Amino acid sequence: MLPEPPPIAEEQLVARLRAQDEAAMTEFYDKYSAALYGVILRIVRKEEEAEDVLQEGMVKIWHSFQSYDPSKGRLFTWVLNVCRNLAIDKIRSRQYRVSSHSQPLDESPAERQPAATTFRPEHIGLQEITRQLNPEQKQIVDLLYFEGYTQSEVAEELNLPLGTVKTRARAAIKVLSKLIR
Amino acid sequence: MNIEDYIESGQLELYALQQLSPAEAAEVERLAAQYPAIRAELTQVQQRLGLYAEAHAVTPPASMRERVLGGWQQAIRQQPVAVAPAPIAPVTPEPTPRPAQASEAVVRPLPAAEPEAGSGFRWLAIAASVALLLSLGANWLLYSRWQSSENQLVLAQAEQARFAATTQAVQKRLATRTEELGILRSEQFRTVVMTGTPQAPGARAKVMYNPATRAVYVDVNNLPAAPTGKQYQLWALDKGKPVDAGMLAQNTAAGDSLQRMKDIVSAQAFAVTLEDAGGHPTPTLAALTVMGQMTN
Repeated sequence: MLPEPPPIAEEQLVARLRAQDEAAMTEFYDKYSAALYGVILRIVRKEEEAEDVLQEGMVKIWHSFQSYDPSKGRLFTWVLNVCRNLAIDKIRSRQYRVSSHSQPLDESPAERQPAATTFRPEHIGLQEITRQLNPEQKQIVDLLYFEGYTQSEVAEELNLPLGTVKTRARAAIKVLSKLIR
Repeated sequence: MNIEDYIESGQLELYALQQLSPAEAAEVERLAAQYPAIRAELTQVQQRLGLYAEAHAVTPPASMRERVLGGWQQAIRQQPVAVAPAPIAPVTPEPTPRPAQASEAVVRPLPAAEPEAGSGFRWLAIAASVALLLSLGANWLLYSRWQSSENQLVLAQAEQARFAATTQAVQKRLATRTEELGILRSEQFRTVVMTGTPQAPGARAKVMYNPATRAVYVDVNNLPAAPTGKQYQLWALDKGKPVDAGMLAQNTAAGDSLQRMKDIVSAQAFAVTLEDAGGHPTPTLAALTVMGQMTN
């Protein structure tokens, strides 16, 4: 089982954001900006672009906070999806993918920077994950998660049956749980 | 439902990766709410994925904090919540249709995502409308064809009935003609040719008489049209004494066909007189029209 992060702080933050407490957004930034910025940067691959998307994401989170349902998942999962969708929309709208989707993950900005330790003591570095996931699994998760590919696009790109994409994605995500002790 | 198999299927992973259609995503949410095991597995999948995201964490430059928070504050002040969904829209750069977008579990549909969900629904609605129209068109076509077939069937049936009636009439006439021909060809019949009297010089008729069976037939070649209230009557003359042989029907007098008359025991001559309709016990000699002697 995954160790649950301290829930009190998150609950308080959710309550304050729901009450439209602007000061809570500063705390939100301090808590989540590194994780969100890293994912956005991994998707859009340009620091200026990533900064814009993060700001847009925060505006969107602020305005649509009433639609966040804690019973369906953690705040981090929700805000991550909001930012991820914005970033993917950005690369899709500007057709980033044509020029840059083949860039290998090893050149990801995260590789060149020390891992952030902002909100998870058990945070795992990218290097360690890369060692655990086999290349096939990693490729599938990356295409689906960071490149904005649909499962059928992945199947086409890798010349795999749809069912294999599905099972491989499951296997890959399963491996990630082994990294947490 | 086998929960184990469902968990192993990878559907929860696709859900967490926002790869499912709205309908499929709704199904996952329904099952997660119903089965704690699925809920727990989904939570784990989301946490693992979150962990993978965190592995990519990059601490932004310190100067970014002021810029982003300042920009965010400016944005939300410019776009007050009161006008809720509208402020979000300009922030999203040209949303592109992505099936997974509207179907997130944890992230419920956002105002900015609505154009996409709406567009998806709109396309679905358009597709459904087109399908309905095509179906209506096909129905109309089939209905009109069916109607036309129905009409043609009715016509064909009427035609067939008419044809059957005609055939029946033809057969009846054929039977009559066959009978008449039989009489004319029979050697037992004696033909008596009756010719016109001075009152009706052009008149001509024949009697076929079978002495053995006593049958008498009359065949008119030409008789003047009978005035209203008058009718031709056939007489057999046996040893100079007239015997009533029956009234000629109107079509017989017109020469349409043979007519069987009353049986006659014995005769040497036949004559036709014009009498009052219904006949007369004795012939009116003044009205004698045709007359003929039987030749031996």
